Amino acid sequence: MRYIDYMQLNPFQKFGYNFTQFFKKLPGNLARFFTFLGRAIVRFFVGVGKGFANYGKRFAKGDFAVKLSYLIFGFANMVKGQFIKGLLFLITEAAYILFMIYFGWGYMSKFNTLGTVKASTTMDASGFPVTVPGDNSMLILLYGVVTIVVTALVLAIYIANTKSAYKVYEDKREGKKVLTFKEEIKQFVDEKFHITLMSLPCLLIGCFTILPLVFMILIAFTSYDNAHLPPGNLFTWVGLENFTDLVSITEGANKATTFIGLAEWTIIWAIFATFSNYILGMIVALMINKKGIKLKALWRTLFVVVIAVPQFVSLLLMNQMLQINGAINQLLSLIVGSTVQIQFLNSTALMARITVIIVNIWIGIPYTILITSGILMNIPADLYESATIDGAGPVKSFMKITLPYMLFVTTPYLITSFIGNINNFNVIYLLTNGGPTTEKYYQAGYTDILVTWLFKLTMNNQDYNLAAAVGILVFIVCATLSLITFNMTKSAKDEEAFS
Amino acid sequence: MKKIVALLLATMMMVAAFASCGGGGESTTSNSGSGNGDTKTGTGFSVDAADFGEEKGASLKVWGPDNSVKLLKEQCNAFVKKFPDQNIKINVVAQGEDTAATNMLSDPDAAADVFGFASDQLSRLVSAGVIAPVATKYAEDIKATNLKAAVSASTLPNPDTKEKEDTLYAFPETGNGYYLVYDKSVVPDKDAGSLEKILEDCKKAGKKFIMDAGTGYYACIFAFTGGLKIEGLEKDNITQKFNKYDEDKVVATLKAFSTLMHEYSDTFTSLDVANVSSGFVSSKSKPSTCGAGIDGNWNSTADEEALGDNFGATKLPTIKVDGKDEQMISMYGYKMVGVNNASKYPRTSQILAYYLASEECQKQRCEELGWSPTNNKVVESDATKKNVAISALIAQSEHAVAQVNVAKTFWDPMANLGNKLIATDTKPDKFDFKKLLKDTISNIKDE
Amino acid sequence: MIKSYKLRRTLANTFIYIILAVLGIVWVSPLAYLLIQSFSADKASIPQTLIPMSYGIDNYIKLFTNTGTLNFPRWYLNTFVVACFSCVISTISVLMVAYAFSRLRFKSRKKFINVGMILGMFPGFMTMIAIYYLLKAMGLTQTLVALVICYSAGAGLGFQISKGFFDTIPRALDEAATIDGATKNQIFWKIILPMSKPIVVYTVLTSFIGPWTDFILAKIIMGDAVNNYTVAIGLQMMVSLEFKVNYFKQFLAGSVLVAVPVTILFLKMQSYYVEGVTAGGVKG
Repeated sequence: MRYIDYMQLNPFQKFGYNFTQFFKKLPGNLARFFTFLGRAIVRFFVGVGKGFANYGKRFAKGDFAVKLSYLIFGFANMVKGQFIKGLLFLITEAAYILFMIYFGWGYMSKFNTLGTVKASTTMDASGFPVTVPGDNSMLILLYGVVTIVVTALVLAIYIANTKSAYKVYEDKREGKKVLTFKEEIKQFVDEKFHITLMSLPCLLIGCFTILPLVFMILIAFTSYDNAHLPPGNLFTWVGLENFTDLVSITEGANKATTFIGLAEWTIIWAIFATFSNYILGMIVALMINKKGIKLKALWRTLFVVVIAVPQFVSLLLMNQMLQINGAINQLLSLIVGSTVQIQFLNSTALMARITVIIVNIWIGIPYTILITSGILMNIPADLYESATIDGAGPVKSFMKITLPYMLFVTTPYLITSFIGNINNFNVIYLLTNGGPTTEKYYQAGYTDILVTWLFKLTMNNQDYNLAAAVGILVFIVCATLSLITFNMTKSAKDEEAFS
Repeated sequence: MKKIVALLLATMMMVAAFASCGGGGESTTSNSGSGNGDTKTGTGFSVDAADFGEEKGASLKVWGPDNSVKLLKEQCNAFVKKFPDQNIKINVVAQGEDTAATNMLSDPDAAADVFGFASDQLSRLVSAGVIAPVATKYAEDIKATNLKAAVSASTLPNPDTKEKEDTLYAFPETGNGYYLVYDKSVVPDKDAGSLEKILEDCKKAGKKFIMDAGTGYYACIFAFTGGLKIEGLEKDNITQKFNKYDEDKVVATLKAFSTLMHEYSDTFTSLDVANVSSGFVSSKSKPSTCGAGIDGNWNSTADEEALGDNFGATKLPTIKVDGKDEQMISMYGYKMVGVNNASKYPRTSQILAYYLASEECQKQRCEELGWSPTNNKVVESDATKKNVAISALIAQSEHAVAQVNVAKTFWDPMANLGNKLIATDTKPDKFDFKKLLKDTISNIKDE
Repeated sequence: MIKSYKLRRTLANTFIYIILAVLGIVWVSPLAYLLIQSFSADKASIPQTLIPMSYGIDNYIKLFTNTGTLNFPRWYLNTFVVACFSCVISTISVLMVAYAFSRLRFKSRKKFINVGMILGMFPGFMTMIAIYYLLKAMGLTQTLVALVICYSAGAGLGFQISKGFFDTIPRALDEAATIDGATKNQIFWKIILPMSKPIVVYTVLTSFIGPWTDFILAKIIMGDAVNNYTVAIGLQMMVSLEFKVNYFKQFLAGSVLVAVPVTILFLKMQSYYVEGVTAGGVKG
């Protein structure tokens, strides 16, 4: 189909077209996704190799000052008129050496064993306990990671230093003007403005997101569970043991059956939670925005108030209201006239799961109303008119016009909210805390999703290694899912339309 | 003839109950202790100035549960005044006994020097090496002046020594458990001994019997009453060990409980214990909703306030299993004071913990907070005997499994057991209680 | 024909009014219940009836006078301070990153965007223990500064929506300004920012509300420093088993006090919120 033909389709047809294309291209896209991954990895190593080659070339070509810069950071810059810049390089080197002597090396040297000396407490001569401190595996691992990250950063600065040394040497040789420190700073509000903007956020993200993440990913390959808690115990590397625990199914309640059971429910939950909110929210939004309906602001506010109340308040309240002596049962008792005691949250799995999904609708619909209202208004009115003339009722025109149009426009929102629901900790944790309990699962209940299980494993049970492994698996699912879909929507938009 | 049989039965059951509490969970009778075959008698709290060693100007942090903070501050002040030369500073922070251990484990350096915690947490603290053993000097005195069961609950094999010899790790400060509380105007005293009668009375009055069947701490009653007991941990210090129980009897007991719950489904209600005292509250326009319940001693003031003169408390009732009245067996724990192994002032901390567990402090807690004592002298004092709630708790402690060395994996499966018994879709005459029991045990053992 | 059409429309509208009214009641009633029960003066701490027997403002008074262990006013202040600081820092860092990704072209920009997207997908709890020990190494645990850092550090990762918004501003504006000799810095402050009110308000709003609702990370960082708690940890503490018996109604009152300002703020800013999120988040 040519672009011009595509443009002439109505949104519904566009969606239908894209929809069929989506599935036609699915295998191709999957394949492309993985070849892309492979190529990226290859490209990475090629890049590294090239970097090394350039690194050597600069050394060979440079003069003495450049060569000395390979040992003393910033030497060439300092002797060739960029004193402050050179000094900054030198300070980095000095700081790194001090850091390694006083902090980093101690942890790095134990990184491969995670410590060998166990702490012990004995009584001294006067009968008081004395502790001989030993290695703390957790701190060795964490600060080892810190050291590695710092080393990587310094390495990057080191490479920049050699480049800068070579550049200043070349500029001098070719008679170009060597930039003063002030001029270089000036670049940072214009050509290099992105560095100014990105460096602080990147530093913060590096410190408080990436670094902890690397640490926790490594934890998944250790024996850091409740039997190996520091400081009294040591833990060590165990390879893939935690992952094999999660997938090797045996009789009875174990980690593998729990993982698979919870994964199933997590997917079911995410699907129901996402689409129930999406479709119902859109219907409510349509009703509020219908022509001729008055007090639109009031109706919207009634729903939106729920967003504004912090979730932990509204969900803890809901939990109380759903108890057997809670408000809902009291209300039902009033209506029926005799005592009603429905166990919403802790009788059967089905009951609790339905309750959770319904409460989630209460929490979630207002978001959909907010987000879709504006877009709904943009659907061309003549589409509806022609549908009415063709004799379509409201249900039919919703199914044939509204839904396809909205699905087309809000795919990114749907994906993010689907992933959000896979990780929807609050609703499950505060409402049911995973209950109803079951003898079939290890440290989890029927409504637990993977993230709440992860949380329980960490906080209640100190099974950090297992939790980390679960976290990694959840991540892999989420990341693949969204990367593939994002890729496909992008390709649907950019490539197909023009082919 | 009938009377004699009944008497015989009663004695037998008493003996059985005593015997059943041996081993890890020694029974605690009100007259056990100092004179009871123990040749050593404790000296009570006494400290040499030399005990402080080099430490001067110590600044300590102490954790205690919220409702005891006020008294704890007074006691700490008294401690500071006892040793004016030491120039000690103490900061008291509210921290529940249930969360203390978790917070200790998450970062010992930021945790309190001296902290109160529940006995079932001890094994975790010891195995992670964050709790310091009691100084040998005080250990002797603690062992001699406190109830044997409390001492044994505070003792664990030391993983740092070659022989793994038993070591006293904490200073017991109070007994901790639950018992039956009831509204005397609904359940007359004579009925309070039998669960069937209590339920009948409550049903007649249109009130509820509230217990938290969905929490392992209370739900273990169902299995314990049938003769199941926990007996410490396996060698790995994690896996729960059980006694050799009679499976058929446990199953019959579970069935009996479940049948009762369903027979009185409008009366037997599973709600968390906060609802007991709230349910007792009555006003002119709204009668109370709760007739009796199982509540802990930490809520006794709230219960008493709500019921006033109608407040009744006693040991848990009996339940009919295959025609025989069986005493309900509960879990009975201790709260103890521990010393942080990472404390900067280990000696001063030891001495403070020793003081907080002393007769003097236990007596104050008993009188002001209604906490059940573990110190022999306080246990035998009149004040303790007069207090209805404490007497009920001590009476119940004779029919209890000690809350010591409880595996982390114990609570959730037990909670599930309780939930299953009471669930509306469980049909007691058809339900496979044997499988439920087996699954529960294997889940606790993490197999 | 016309008449019947009109009739049908009136009928349909009435039907919709009824549905909306019913739904509206269902949606608001739990919150109304919260509000009413917070004024309950009943003796029982857990509500025993749908509507309290007696009313009073005891629960609120206790919240502000009974501050021995649970210091609600202090928590409120803490949360406000943390929210203000972290909202300023996060807003700035989100906008900076979003602007860089949307307007500036530099090496490995795409890679950064992808990495940013992927990082946001790891379950947050995985990193909390590590964050705690990193803060500890910096000597910041149990302080409000640590909270501000935690709430604003990851903010840069939430650039997608703002980037989407910036993408909608025509590039011709930048080009014209560049021709007039403006630096990229000046374009950001003088041209883009003034045009981005909805997205700025959206970012401010979301980052301001964050600290009022987080009860997990904050608890881990604060440990036992009760005086440095935020309202979320405090309220969560009030319904823990230990406190519930005595504090449940104060929990309700406290919840109302947290919900009211946030609600007002949210309703006032609602239109910006909608504009920001639809412009930035939906078009993809």
